Formats: sequence, C-alpha cells, structure tokens
Amino acid sequence: MNKPQPASLYESEKKIYPREMGGRFDTLSKIATTTLLGLFYVVPWLTWDDRQAILFDLPARKFYLLGLTLWPQDFPYLALLLVIAALSLFFFTALAGRLWCGFACPQTVWTEAFIWMEQITEGTRSQRMKLDKAPWSFNKFRRKASKQFLWVTFSLWTGFTFVGFFAPIRELGHELLTFNAGGWQWFWALFYGFATYGNAGYMREQVCKYMCPYARFQSAMFDKDTLIISYDEKRGEPRGGRKRSVDPKVAGLGDCIDCSLCVQVCPTGIDIRDGLQYECIACAACIDACDSVMDKMSYPRGLIRYTTEHALQNEQTHVIRPRMLVYAALLLVLIGSLVTSMALRTPIILDVIRDRNALYRELPNDIIENSYTIKLINQTNDAREFRLRVTGVDGIHLDGITDTFTIAGGGVLSVPVRARVHRGNARGVAKIDFIAEALDDSGDMRIEDSRFLGPTP
Amino acid sequence: MINEDYRGTLKWSRNKQAVFTVIWISFLCAAVGTMVFFALFDPVDLSGIFDEDLDIDRDAGYAAGFFFFWILLLVCGGLTAFLVRTAPKRHAKHHGKQD
Repeated sequence: MNKPQPASLYESEKKIYPREMGGRFDTLSKIATTTLLGLFYVVPWLTWDDRQAILFDLPARKFYLLGLTLWPQDFPYLALLLVIAALSLFFFTALAGRLWCGFACPQTVWTEAFIWMEQITEGTRSQRMKLDKAPWSFNKFRRKASKQFLWVTFSLWTGFTFVGFFAPIRELGHELLTFNAGGWQWFWALFYGFATYGNAGYMREQVCKYMCPYARFQSAMFDKDTLIISYDEKRGEPRGGRKRSVDPKVAGLGDCIDCSLCVQVCPTGIDIRDGLQYECIACAACIDACDSVMDKMSYPRGLIRYTTEHALQNEQTHVIRPRMLVYAALLLVLIGSLVTSMALRTPIILDVIRDRNALYRELPNDIIENSYTIKLINQTNDAREFRLRVTGVDGIHLDGITDTFTIAGGGVLSVPVRARVHRGNARGVAKIDFIAEALDDSGDMRIEDSRFLGPTP
Repeated sequence: MINEDYRGTLKWSRNKQAVFTVIWISFLCAAVGTMVFFALFDPVDLSGIFDEDLDIDRDAGYAAGFFFFWILLLVCGGLTAFLVRTAPKRHAKHHGKQD
C-alpha cells in the first residue's frame, strides 16, 4: 500500500492502467469500436459510379455522397445535418446518459484501439505496471519499441485515411508512396496522425476530464429518469472482504466484497461506489467487472448496473416524459425538413449579378440595355440542355446567349448577357426574373430575380 | 481499503488544464469556422482581392484560413483564460471564503 501523498497545489501525474475485463458491455463496446473504426478505414476505399463513394473534394469544392453531388451552395443541408446531430446527442443523453462517450466518441474508440495495442505488446494491467516500474532492459525496450511501432504505424495510417476523405485515396496512396504528394497533403496526414497518437496514446481520459465541453454540460440533460451506471449502495454496504462460504447477512456485510475490480477496470480511474461523477464516461466496464465477481460469489448480478435515480429510490422510471417528447418532436421536424428539401432539391444553381459599372445603355432605335453576368451550374453528373429566359418587363429579351445551350455534368456556365427593352417600356427600376429551365422531362427550373434600370420618366 | 494505485489520481495542473483546453477548443471552433467560411467563399476568388498576382491554390487557401482562425481563437481563448485566472481576488475579510 502506498502512503498517502502530501497534498500539493499541482498534483503529480499518475498513469491509469485500465484492467482488461470481458463481459456483456465489453462485447458491445468491441462491436461498436470495430464497426466505427471499420467504417472510418474502409469507407474511403469504396467506389460508386467509377469514383470514390464518399469524397469531400475540397480542391474542386464538391462533395460526393454516393450518387449525390453537393456544392458549396448546398451548405444549408450540412448545417441542418449538424443541428440534427447535436439534437440527437441531447436526445440520447436524456434517455440513456453518456452512451456517446462510452461507445461512439472517437476519443473513446481510438483510445480502445490504442489500449488494445498496448495489451498486445506490454501485456496485462499488472504486467504493464510492473514493466513501467522495472529498470530499462532489453525486454522492456523490445516491448516499448513494438508498442510505439504499432502506435505510430496505426496513427500514420489514420492520418492517411483522414486525408483520403478529402483527396482521392488511391491516387493519394500512390503519391505518398512515391513522395509525389503535395505539401499540404503530407502536412494534414501527419497532423491528424499526430493528434490521434497524442489523444489516444497519451492524453486519453484527460481529454474527457479537462478538454471536452460535452462532458461538462451533459449533466444538464440528465434527470431522475436518465439511465446511469450506478452502484447500489443499499445492497452493497457495508462493504468488506469475506470468504465465499460466509453468509453476508450473518456477518453483517453488504454484497460488495471490496475487491476493487470496478476501480481497476475504470479507464478514467474513478470509484463508481462514490456515486455519479462527471469523470464517468459510462463505458460500463465496472458493470462487467462487478457482474463477474457476483457470479463467482453466487450473488445476484447488478450490484453495479444501468439504472435510474428514480429506480434507485424505488420509484417509477418514466421513459416517456416531456423532455423526451420535446427532443423527439424537434428531431422529427428537422429530419423531415432535411429529407423533404433534399428530395425537392433542384440540381440547378442560377446566379445573376447585375453589372454595377453602368446604370443602363441607350442603343439606337430607342432600345435600353442592361448588362448582367449569369452563372449557371448543372449540379447533376450528366450533360443537360437548358434555356434561359427573362420576364418582368414587356418585350424584354436577352442578347449574348443562344436560345438553348448544353452544360456538361457538374459544369459551370459563366457568361455576360444583355437584356434589352424598348424605351417605351423601360421606366425607372423594374424587377425582372431570370428563368433557367432544363429541357428534359424533369421540369427542373430555377428563378432568380434582378433589376432592370431605365431612364427616369 | 483500496490501494491508491488503483485510483485515478492523474490530475493536470491548473495551468496545463488551461493551456490544453484553450488549444483544443480553439482548434474545434477553428474547424467549424473554416468550414462555414469556405462554404461561402472560394479561396481562389479571395486571393484576387489581396493581390492580383497572388497565385494561391485552394489547398493553401484552406490551410491559411484554418490557421488564421486557429491563431485568432488561441489568442482570444488564451487571453480570456489568463485574465480570468489572474483577476484580483476579492478580499477574504469582507467576503468570507476566498476561492
């Protein structure tokens, strides 16, 4: 046993060695980790219609999501998606506590992967602690070096994959291997790799404790009906060691045998028996640990379990409650509007910029002319034929653009056009509409308004 | 009694907390800021404003934008943390406990 350390202003750092422990929640966590990491590392390699299925092509300013191509003008969808993600986080936090932290957060997921590599190379928890205390030897060097090798390789691969979401990954891989990649690609790959290495290899639970805003404010979403991981104090206390043969009731003991396994497995190094703490990321490792001990002692499971504050006080737990209904309603409305607007999205973008240098020009034969720059984008992946019209003033017509024209898939047409009106119809400021329509069965069209200036009467 | 080795006594000093929190949070905000900013503006269009001959590609533009945001937010967060932490404390005599 260690002597209690003298209190100091800056407490010394002590490394946490989470103990490995199988069980129901460990299996769940492994499934979540494998799925999420699998998605991250596999998705950039998938292809769709001869190009990368998911590619955020920043140099070309286009996002490819399977068959869909999104342009910077589609940014509202992304914003809406982020709002939906945030609201889902609130919803699930209110329902089941820090599910996100325990099973889905990249910090947790990559930390799990790094701890796994640590176990492969440095052994179990007690072996790791022993190894760190031992003086340097060949064995220690070998184990530490192989751990670093795995960590660094994995981090570099992670950085490469990350950049692969933004630049075609196959070409990128080839360019990196032949040292032909651009400087920024190298930089971001190394940057992301280094961040992964630092966050998942060294900072780990410190990120959750000190650097994560969600960890601080998530408790605002909690109420007495939220699922939390909790130690059943009424059942467990007074805690104490005993032989298996001893009847705890006779010995005046609770069900907690004070084996401290729940503390040893905790990745944030807290004692769940002290009550709900903000450091707890709800990974449920302590539940697995305690259940295994309860099984060995032939006590019922669940001394540490998912429960609610109401349940712990022997009261009814309400899953459906006003808070949940509000979150759910908001989520449904937002998801509904995202899906609707995506479905009704017209894959044409029309921008009209009026030439600011001249109010208007007077041409022979009493014609008044205004100049505009038209930018028409075909957001589909196939070539389409379009027609551009203008309405709003009697007899207005366009000059400088053919009647119909074709724009290639993903192409942009940027062209100066002139709108002309007879002097008799051009008085002061008139609102006009430019209409771009696709000449196929889709009926896709886009209307953009502008102004036509004429001489003041 | 629990061996203290088992407990998470790993604690960062207040300075370390402040430094890493400012770095991390400004990083996250810079990422969001970069995303929103460059969804609205194309770095190639912007480069023409500063210097007609400035031949900057988009990758470099994005990176420059990101670091601009990050450094700006680092300064903002760092100064805020510094001022909050070094603010004169109220006198214990008049206001009870000092924190």
